[in-house]
Amino acid sequence: MSDAVQLDRLAEKPVSRTRETLQTLVANRLAVAGLVVLTLLVVIGIFGEAIAPYGINDIDIANRLQGPSGSHWFGTDDLGRDTLSRVLIAARVSLQVGFIAVGFAIAVGVPIGLVAGYYRGAVDSVLMRMMDVLFSFPAILLAIAILAVLGPGIGNAMIAIGIVYTPIFARITRGSVLVVSEEVYIRAARSLGATDGRIIFRHILPNVLAPIIVQTTLSLAFAILSEAALSFLGLGVQPPNPAWGRMLADGQDFFQQNPWMGIFPGLAILVTVMAFNFVGDGLRDALDPKQKSVIESRGQSA
Amino acid sequence: MSDPVLQVDNLQVRFGTKRGVAEVVNGISYELREGETLAIVGESGSGKSVGVLALMGLLQQPPAAVTGSVRYRGRELLDSSPKAWREIRGKGMAMIFQDPMTSLNPVRTVGYQLTEPMALHLGIKGDEAKQRAVELLDMVGIPSPDTRVSDYPHQLSGGMRQRVMIVMGLACDPDVLIADEATTALDVTTQAQITDLVAGLQERIGMAVVWITHDLGVVASIADRVHVMYGGRFMEQASVDDLYATPSHPYTEGLLGSLPMPGSDRPDKLVTIPGLPPDPVAMPSGCPFAPRCSYSDGARCTQEVPELRVAGDSDHATACHYPLGVAP
Repeated sequence: MSDAVQLDRLAEKPVSRTRETLQTLVANRLAVAGLVVLTLLVVIGIFGEAIAPYGINDIDIANRLQGPSGSHWFGTDDLGRDTLSRVLIAARVSLQVGFIAVGFAIAVGVPIGLVAGYYRGAVDSVLMRMMDVLFSFPAILLAIAILAVLGPGIGNAMIAIGIVYTPIFARITRGSVLVVSEEVYIRAARSLGATDGRIIFRHILPNVLAPIIVQTTLSLAFAILSEAALSFLGLGVQPPNPAWGRMLADGQDFFQQNPWMGIFPGLAILVTVMAFNFVGDGLRDALDPKQKSVIESRGQSA
Repeated sequence: MSDPVLQVDNLQVRFGTKRGVAEVVNGISYELREGETLAIVGESGSGKSVGVLALMGLLQQPPAAVTGSVRYRGRELLDSSPKAWREIRGKGMAMIFQDPMTSLNPVRTVGYQLTEPMALHLGIKGDEAKQRAVELLDMVGIPSPDTRVSDYPHQLSGGMRQRVMIVMGLACDPDVLIADEATTALDVTTQAQITDLVAGLQERIGMAVVWITHDLGVVASIADRVHVMYGGRFMEQASVDDLYATPSHPYTEGLLGSLPMPGSDRPDKLVTIPGLPPDPVAMPSGCPFAPRCSYSDGARCTQEVPELRVAGDSDHATACHYPLGVAP
């Protein structure tokens, strides 16, 4: 029986790396749950207005500060606005900030890491010391400082969060590049006449993608959290537009009368961040060959 | 006789280390003509690999410092621009690396890695390049090359990977192929297949080969000439037959004595050379082999570096004050 299974495995067409990664990812239940939640969030982000039962600024003073009910599932806030509608519509801005800020961090950080790790020496020292300076500030403090210069607002918040997360990508990329650029196959590529640019982008970059992808999902979670914190402090999304952090701050003032006003936006942040973290963990398990071999050998012994 | 394809003159490589300057290659010179196979033999740490990496401009400077002269078809390489280097690498001179397990990029398919040098040097791309890659794989005896071409390195066995490495080096029909321990990691059968393959190709396209190895058995089967390297210098250079029949350097004699030769009238016990190769940071002032040499006179041998001198035949040279078979 087991022989037949083994033979079947041998007869299988060799699976590509991408497919193997996806298979490992799908086998991880938490990662799948995270992916489902994220897909749902993206749908909500795109069609928020259509899904939301009320407008974000539909004021109904008569029904202010109510708990969850049939007509207002998540209750209402101090102006009688529907919390559910505001939470749903705020998903868009959270995701936007996350993706754009992390996209900025990748676009700047990864090339810095590639160049620093490949050329080393003075180039490396100058670039990485700049990154160290950014890294030495607490993330939120740095974001607040940048926003103090740029002025509050959602666009500036994206830039600020992007700058805060750039050094992480530069460091992770550089570390991997240092290892990969010592590999014989890089020397072999050079011995065949490949240019520096070709070696960096075609030979090194694909080999360092795994940690970058994992860091991306984890940073998305942190970026959304940072946006919530900045909006909580009034530096991100400006009223009357809804943002989870902003709503949490508003809810704080009415916590005695209607705790639901803060609980639901807080839950939205929690669920989103956890979803990104689950997917990130799943991806790390799927992409890290060392981790993978441990899992596989466990599976075989079981 | 045709002009040499490759002329190496007094090549020296030094590395700055924390302990001091490591003198790894100390003035080696040789010439290589079309279709010729030169074997460079020596034990680990004798500077063989560093010597050929310097030839290809693959040593990072610093920490390495390369001096001397390397001429490819009369053109000096050591002071040429990175662009000129790139044009010669892969097309003029190609290299096969030691370890097939680490010399292929794990995230690129065999086909990608085979077609890359073609795109770089010959401008062959797309289906035409893929077709050529399949032909190359077929040439080295890889079964079902048309599906193997889209495989990743981890899906191939060690022997197959080494063959892929070899055809990568051969993709642009180089004039000079440098094989750095190309068969050391392989079993004897695969090793024989590969040496046959290279010899066949050599005959067909007239390529010159520098074969770096520590395996004197392989040398006997493929090389025209042999240079024995020790402590970053050539100790002895001769044609293969000459070297095996009448070694004139004590080190060569020691190497040959340590080879098992079934059926010969030699005593059963293999000879070992006592001691260790010299430390490149603290090279002996005289002959690098003197501290381990049973013929050393303890005076001239430890003070004066012996020059390569013709011994016996005109193309047989030895760097020894007291070459074997010659009356002092």
